[in-house]
Amino acid sequence: MASTQDIKRGVVISWKNDPHLVTEFEHIMPGKGSAFVRTKLKNLKTGKVLENTFKVGEKIDLVDLEKRKVQYLYASGDKFAFMDNGTYEQFELGVEVLAGFEKYLKEGLEVVLLFSDGTPITVEFPKKVSYKVTEAEPGVKGDTASGRVTKEVTAENGLKIRAPLFIKEGDTIVVNTETGEYAERAAE
Amino acid sequence: MPKKMSLKKEKGRQEKFLLRAKIISLIRDFFCKENFLEVETPSLVKFPGMEPHLDPVKVSLPILDGRCEVYLITSPEYAMKKILAAGFRNIFQICKSFRGGEAMDELHNPEFTILEWYRAHADYKDIMKDVERLMVYIARNLQKKTGDNLKLKIEYQNQEIDLTPPWEKLTVREAFRKYAKIDLDKVLSRETMAAAAEKKGYVISKDDSFDDIFFKIFLSEIEAHLGRKKPTILYDWPAQMAALSRLKRTDPRYAERFEVYVGGLELGNAFSELVDSAEQRKRLVAERKLRKKLGKVIYGLDEEFLEALREMPPSGGIAMGIDRIVMLFTGAKSINEVLFFPASKIF
Repeated sequence: MASTQDIKRGVVISWKNDPHLVTEFEHIMPGKGSAFVRTKLKNLKTGKVLENTFKVGEKIDLVDLEKRKVQYLYASGDKFAFMDNGTYEQFELGVEVLAGFEKYLKEGLEVVLLFSDGTPITVEFPKKVSYKVTEAEPGVKGDTASGRVTKEVTAENGLKIRAPLFIKEGDTIVVNTETGEYAERAAE
Repeated sequence: MPKKMSLKKEKGRQEKFLLRAKIISLIRDFFCKENFLEVETPSLVKFPGMEPHLDPVKVSLPILDGRCEVYLITSPEYAMKKILAAGFRNIFQICKSFRGGEAMDELHNPEFTILEWYRAHADYKDIMKDVERLMVYIARNLQKKTGDNLKLKIEYQNQEIDLTPPWEKLTVREAFRKYAKIDLDKVLSRETMAAAAEKKGYVISKDDSFDDIFFKIFLSEIEAHLGRKKPTILYDWPAQMAALSRLKRTDPRYAERFEVYVGGLELGNAFSELVDSAEQRKRLVAERKLRKKLGKVIYGLDEEFLEALREMPPSGGIAMGIDRIVMLFTGAKSINEVLFFPASKIF
């Protein structure tokens, strides 16, 4: 049986007899009490989102999800199309399923779709994705507020991100999709 | 006329460290003016705090004829109480404390800086006033301007918080009624608390203690409301959660303990200190039993501490997290922004 340490974003647990997708989680330690995990859960049957606080160590039931590696094809409106390269099956995901991660999509990107009862319910992104920089103003002053000198650059898929001053058009940069931050310049 | 303090929310990393040093120096000024004695107590001890859920760091200390198993303190509480018992009246300390077993996240670092102070012949109400005055003292002296125009509003994580005393003071009972619509008086046993929680849709297991169920409700429905426009002092905790505080004479179902919340940060925990040695021994033994059940490290009772309680005058005391105080005044979202070397980057 699984426990609270298995709770993370994208995991589906069986809770109160319904499958629930973990959309957010946070560890809390009141110090004078045990540790807890505060979660946001989406009921996959009703679509209702609710919060629950689990005690660390509490037993939970993980729902096994079917995983399929797919390639991103294109977007049309609020829908995003993916294809399983083995079976040539295509799947369409709404923007609500991608939950903000749609900005990291680029043509040909491989991601993992997780299925519950044949329906794709969430996407696992690679932690690091590289992009070609299509716009980067040279020699701007940069933003020193955070103590790190950065500037905004635009990637091939339209993603705007803060990167160090030395990044120029044509460079390939690696972005951490978990933190949403620039990670490094890819070696050519 | 400045509407708010001249501390902007966006700040360079360097400036946060300058402010950190300034805040710590202001804290020392404040207690010096109040005639408190600054004390230093050991980091290495034989008997660390018995709080059931804390994991003290064990250290193998080389000595002349071998090695000796010791622990790093989780707070300087026992030692400071021994000093009070020795006759020193008002004392404070700024020191590192160490807690293992916790995530290294935006609010926690395994070693952190504690400010702890005690007032003899006083209780938790006096400590509430100390906290208000200390925070106002820091806020005033961090401003570049002086005079009557000083405003005590600070901005933290897009919230405007007014530090002007008196702060919001809520009993835990009032907080449960206001935010969770539960009458705490009626759910002070494990069974009644579990029933109330289940009625609200919480999933309660057999292993959940009173404290566990209390915190599930507290963390889900109450905590987020505390300290938003003004700091909140949340006081009179259920007797089960008394820790090292004395029970209320007028209503022993509750203990004279409070916590301070400001802008989403829990800044400190205070007690009217328990000076009944026999009662303290009972609690420590019960906590050690719970530690064993939870699979935590077990160690002996600090007999010197229990002995000292016989001599200790009735006192009020508090531990506050200096790193979190610095976060509040510098607008830092994460503790890592106010530490030169955050543990999460080292380990």
